[in-house]
Amino acid sequence: MTETPARPTTGRDMHTDFDIEDVSLAENFEEVLDDLVARCPVAHSTVGKGYYVVNKHADVRRVGQDWRTFSSADGWLLNPPEVTIPILPEDLDPPYHDTWRRVLNPFFAPGNVSKVEDLARTYARQLLDGFADKGECEFVADFASQLPGLILFNSIVPIPDEDLPQLFNDIDTYSFGPLDDRIPAFGRVYEYLNDFLKARAEQEPKGDVIDVINAGVDKDGEPSPWEDKVHTLLDVIFGGLATTTHAMAGAIYHLATHPEIRRDLAAHPELVPNAVEETARLYPPVVAPARTVKADVEIAGVQLKAGDRLALNYAAASRDPDACANPGEFDIRRTDVVQSAFGVGVHRCLGAHLARLELRVTIEEFLARIPEFELEPGTTPSYESAQLRTMKNLHLRWTPSA
Amino acid sequence: MKVKVDGALCTGHGRCYSLAPEVFDVDDEGYSEPRDTMIDVPEEHEEATRHGARACPEGAISVVES
Ligand code: HEM
Ligand code: SF4
Repeated sequence: MTETPARPTTGRDMHTDFDIEDVSLAENFEEVLDDLVARCPVAHSTVGKGYYVVNKHADVRRVGQDWRTFSSADGWLLNPPEVTIPILPEDLDPPYHDTWRRVLNPFFAPGNVSKVEDLARTYARQLLDGFADKGECEFVADFASQLPGLILFNSIVPIPDEDLPQLFNDIDTYSFGPLDDRIPAFGRVYEYLNDFLKARAEQEPKGDVIDVINAGVDKDGEPSPWEDKVHTLLDVIFGGLATTTHAMAGAIYHLATHPEIRRDLAAHPELVPNAVEETARLYPPVVAPARTVKADVEIAGVQLKAGDRLALNYAAASRDPDACANPGEFDIRRTDVVQSAFGVGVHRCLGAHLARLELRVTIEEFLARIPEFELEPGTTPSYESAQLRTMKNLHLRWTPSA
Repeated sequence: MKVKVDGALCTGHGRCYSLAPEVFDVDDEGYSEPRDTMIDVPEEHEEATRHGARACPEGAISVVES
């Protein structure tokens, strides 16, 4: 961290004056991450109350696995607003964290997730039907922002059909809408989920994850308070929508701009799961969640003190050449891929198996229906990027088959 | 060749049982099974097993080459 990097687009020195919300990171995402991995194992930021950013794969793994020293209890946001609503189990430490995970895990384990595949394919084909003959689409609005919710709410987290249009609308506004509209939209989603949980608590159990959330778990000998149940449902829903949207868009963007990989996958469909891993690794929606340091500790020669805040830069760690050779390359034949896109340690993404299934189905169904496609000339995707990253639009075109 | 999954580190990413399903199994919560037990690896699955072990995001899998 003694070197001063030459940053092409900003006056900010991302080693000593990092800002996860800076546009130069949003726009030069890969370059900034690669520079951090190569030259700055632990960056520092003076933004807000200040924070550190851990960038190397080995250090990210160590921090992620050591929840006693690096706590999630203050939330995943680096500089949270005055009033924040926690999401659970993300913003919890063991043992209460693990008690929730134990009851949620079975619903998101590979066995249960595999039952969703046919449904996922049906919805993916329906969305493709909407634009395949037009020869163009805006992939985020027309597909990627819709599929994760269609799948989730019609399977593992069942929401009544009649409630879906309004819920979709509010979630969409909250996730992708004008900034001023987002908080009111979130309020409506919160209220809906609160009422929905309450209504379900009065009905006969259906054996689904809603029953399990309503039943709650043990918190220091007491039943979980009501708001913890609502906050758990919030995480199970918000954790899985915009994240998967971004990864879907990343996959299709990559295939649009790399015809050789597209054709390779068409010829070797058994490599699609590898493409899913590479997508998560190189188009990570969860960039860098936060932790609080609980005891003085050194990371890569940098002394941190109890009370310091830090972010685990999963996105950078997935591009660390010490963990993955030629990390910038989207290589569907690599056998050394260790990526951290779904997290490391106890907070390992609850929805990882579902997200992988959705991504596999997206790639398979898109290529089957539209084998050849490209970016709409003159367009490049734009991003919204901070601790989470989302592709906001992806204009594609192709020659419709007769 | 033998292989062992550290039960304290496995968080259920599933890379091992996806890449070497003949060697690693999965339990109802998504964790690798068995854990904390030496597993004998048939010769024909050694390569897939090494691949699965390398891909484990938690570094939970140790391989003992024989
Ligand atoms: C490509 C898609 C996805 C990616 C890359 C992703 C990534 C992540 C990451 C990195 C974490 C760990 C955060 C941390 O360490 O603090 C996480 C946690 C979580 N994710 Fe995902 N996620 C995705 C999709 C999903 C889906 C589909 C769901 C659910 C339907 C989901 C639900 C959750 C939940 C509930 C947590 C909190 C787990 C805990 O704290 O124990 N995610 N996700
Ligand atoms: S890849 Fe690692 S963390 Fe994942 S199930 Fe296998 S042993 Fe567990």
